[in-house]
Amino acid sequence: MTTVHDRTRLTGRSLPRTRDREVLCGEGTYVGDVRLPGMLHATFYRSPHAHARITRLSLAKALDLPGVVLGLTADDLRDRVHDMKPFPFQSRDPFRGGNPAIKFADRVGLAQGKVRYVGEPVALIVAENRYVAEDALELVEAEYELLAPVLDAETGAGEDAPLLYEDWDDNVTLRFDVSGGDVDTAFADADVVVERTLRHHRFSGTPIEPRGVVARYDEAANALTVWTSSQIAHAVGVLLENSIKADKRVSVRVVTPRVGGGFGQKWGFYPEELVVPVGAMLAGRPVRWIETRREHMLATNHAREQTHHVSMALRRDGTILGLRDRIYADLGDAYPVGGLASIVTTPMFVPGAYRIENYEAHLFGVATNKTPFGAHRGFGKSEAAFCIERMMDEAARVLGLDPVAVRMRNFIPPEDFPYVCATGSRYDSGNYPGAMTRLVELLDYEGWRERQQAARAEGRLIGIGTILAIEPSSSTRMGSYNNGYYSVRVAMDPAGQVVVATGGSDEGQGHSTTIAQLVGDELGIDPEAVRVVEGDTDHTPYGSGSYSSRFSVVGTSAVTLASRKLAEKVRRIAAHLLEANVDDVDLVDGRASVRGTAGDSPETAVAVHDVARVAYHRIHDLPPEEEPGLELIYHYRDPNVDFPADERGRVAMFSSFPYSADGAVVEVDPETGQVKILSYVSVHDCGNHLNPKIVEGQHLGALAHGLGGALFEQFTYAPDGQPLNRQFREYLVPTAADMPPLTLEHIITPNPFTPGGYKGAGETGTVTPVPCLANAVEDAVRPAGGRIDRLPLTPRNVWTQLHREHAND
Amino acid sequence: MIPIPAELSAYRDITLTVNGRDHRVRVEPRTLLVDAIRDLVGLTGTHIGCDSTSCGACTVLLDDRPAKSCTVLAVQAEGSRVRTVESLAEPGVLHPLQRAFEDEFAFQCGYCTAGMLMSGLALYERDAPPGPDEIRRALVGNLCRCTGYEPIVAAIAKAIGDRASRPEDAEVRR
Ligand code: FES
Ligand code: FES
Repeated sequence: MTTVHDRTRLTGRSLPRTRDREVLCGEGTYVGDVRLPGMLHATFYRSPHAHARITRLSLAKALDLPGVVLGLTADDLRDRVHDMKPFPFQSRDPFRGGNPAIKFADRVGLAQGKVRYVGEPVALIVAENRYVAEDALELVEAEYELLAPVLDAETGAGEDAPLLYEDWDDNVTLRFDVSGGDVDTAFADADVVVERTLRHHRFSGTPIEPRGVVARYDEAANALTVWTSSQIAHAVGVLLENSIKADKRVSVRVVTPRVGGGFGQKWGFYPEELVVPVGAMLAGRPVRWIETRREHMLATNHAREQTHHVSMALRRDGTILGLRDRIYADLGDAYPVGGLASIVTTPMFVPGAYRIENYEAHLFGVATNKTPFGAHRGFGKSEAAFCIERMMDEAARVLGLDPVAVRMRNFIPPEDFPYVCATGSRYDSGNYPGAMTRLVELLDYEGWRERQQAARAEGRLIGIGTILAIEPSSSTRMGSYNNGYYSVRVAMDPAGQVVVATGGSDEGQGHSTTIAQLVGDELGIDPEAVRVVEGDTDHTPYGSGSYSSRFSVVGTSAVTLASRKLAEKVRRIAAHLLEANVDDVDLVDGRASVRGTAGDSPETAVAVHDVARVAYHRIHDLPPEEEPGLELIYHYRDPNVDFPADERGRVAMFSSFPYSADGAVVEVDPETGQVKILSYVSVHDCGNHLNPKIVEGQHLGALAHGLGGALFEQFTYAPDGQPLNRQFREYLVPTAADMPPLTLEHIITPNPFTPGGYKGAGETGTVTPVPCLANAVEDAVRPAGGRIDRLPLTPRNVWTQLHREHAND
Repeated sequence: MIPIPAELSAYRDITLTVNGRDHRVRVEPRTLLVDAIRDLVGLTGTHIGCDSTSCGACTVLLDDRPAKSCTVLAVQAEGSRVRTVESLAEPGVLHPLQRAFEDEFAFQCGYCTAGMLMSGLALYERDAPPGPDEIRRALVGNLCRCTGYEPIVAAIAKAIGDRASRPEDAEVRR
């Protein structure tokens, strides 16, 4: 297994992202930069109420405003669209065993009859320019009969809760149960049972580029071109083709130009992605809609909000015997978006990095009158990590053991990989004790434990938190649009220049550089000769887009194996030209040369671009059985997933298991509850590194994301369902000055199932800071009787734990 | 809705001086500078991330000081020198700040980058070179969701350091 990269290879080196230079020069095209002749501008009139019946809706006055071209409500859409096709699950029974069981609400993209969250799109206004379109919003006349909002998943699941969908018998949108082993016996045998209720708060990725859609309809061709800031160009295209009602099916091309950050928030089929194209068809002119930040906070998916009622059965020595969890996920409006898939992931991975064979979880996904719950970097695993890693500390406290020691006792040992966990996944590789040992050293864990004692004596609140969290990556889901394969087309033109087109997409990960590295190695050519095309359904093979760190796992494998296959053809042709054995031909430095020779004469070497010329322009020189051309399409199927689920819900949905052992030392201000991070260490294992600087950037960026989520990012609601966080002023994300001192280190256990050994680098860091800082803060406030059962760790929440007489839970 | 008085809703023609060139543009009194730069002058390198003064994606230099162009009216910028990200590179040659951003992998999605570069430029052009902490503080108005900031801080510090050690680079284009 390669763990150290060969110096002569491109992979494993930090090639700079020179081909993204346009970004530095302000020349990159994002959806908001698309300019089309005659383009109109759209705005959405959105629900001002959390839960209400629409008793009157009129666009008449808005349409009278000079410059307004078109207005649409749900009534106008009914003949023009089918019910929006759900995403990512395609049916109510995706695993075909009734588990999970899902309810979908049919909808057309604009509210029909009722509104169910503040920000829900109710009407579309299209005008000559954005200023007029915004003015027109104030002229929309709507009257509502207010209904009691559902704002809590657990009470919302009950019989007495108001119903969001009146034809449903309750608000439970998704039910899922999963189990392994014999949980009852495990609990009966336990010396100790530790129980706790843990609440994960609502936050999201909030990319700096909001969403946006530009659509143009070409009537003669019956074709739509849609530019959208999305991670899944192909899926949006197909969902649109299936959703637009027309005599003849409309053909759709989707272009995702540069995308200014995705983080899961752009993984979905949003109402605007349906309604804006319909608007363009009706207006007969291109229409553009660019989300405002306020709209983004209200109408782009949130994530994470879950309550776990968890109990852990242990032996006195800290060995975990069994685990039970009952999970309520607050899905917001029961919109068929990524949240359904995200929450199913949580119960799969609550056991985390530990050998917990007896396990059961019951999941209730509940519709509430909040923004829909969608995908978000860390996708359901963040909530699982928060739960198990809080419980590990709690178990240690109850048993009077050291939290690091309890973890060490229960880790899946390195020699057990590949390890099939209680819920059916096959963990690819890892060295959890090794990572934890290194963390303890780097953090100076023992030293801080001593300093903590001294500080406590002075009345200072120092806390230490250590965790190890997994971030299962590269998912595939039966019955959904995220299938575990990656598609790549590789073509070398007659001049030897290579174009790689993939069904994935780039939201900043630098694929144009990393793909060139992979291809350059296989074809032995200069990476400058490789150009990458993604995010255009007309110019790339159908594919599932970007999410779940899948580029690292299935993406790199597809690119490598596709170019390897192309390289074989190059070598076969070269061998024929050189009259050599194909097995003796190597591709190095742009030449196909015979091994064991200097490769410096026409008899022993031929330039790769000359081979390409032969393949297209001198086909009489090809080996007789060889087809002309140098182009192929390749589909790589994930080797480490299994379907369908068994009768206990067990299934292998994720194929690689990056993880990180993180540790933090914090000091809590007893007066204000403010948390100060004194030290933060992360020991990360994402397998081999394709481009180390990019890997480091992904992990650092993810950590910033997780730190924000742990410390201050949150979406909250007033008792009437009004959202309280509508701008970055009210939804605080980390700034440059908020970044704590960070120590990052990598250890490498390669993924044994893929050619490159990569596991996925961009998500683990979003998962780890939340439990790590929660543990550290609890460690700090525990002597004062405080507990950390809810997030984020804002001064207010922490202060409340220091003054529990004020706590209301 | 409060009716807009006719004299306020009227269009007017103004001259915006962007990157050393004068542009005659027709705006409403309420037209934001960022919209004028993007839609009327046609330079789309300046981005909009929040339209509410929080994210800094729209940062330009207004008479050499960083300003959030989503929070300035176009009419207010008349008579000022506006500089945008498009002013940085000469054909084929990156500005030292851009070079440092490339060397340090200081961008991922690139959406915040124009604003970061312009805030960075104001620091780069300061007579007294700021240290990393000062750079961090100066960037609090520029949000980035991708990088975790450290590569950006490192890039700005590197460009400033290089400038101090190579006087020929110290000559600053305005
Ligand atoms: S767009 Fe101006 S500060 Fe965000
Ligand atoms: S690079 Fe994406 S927001 Fe900064």
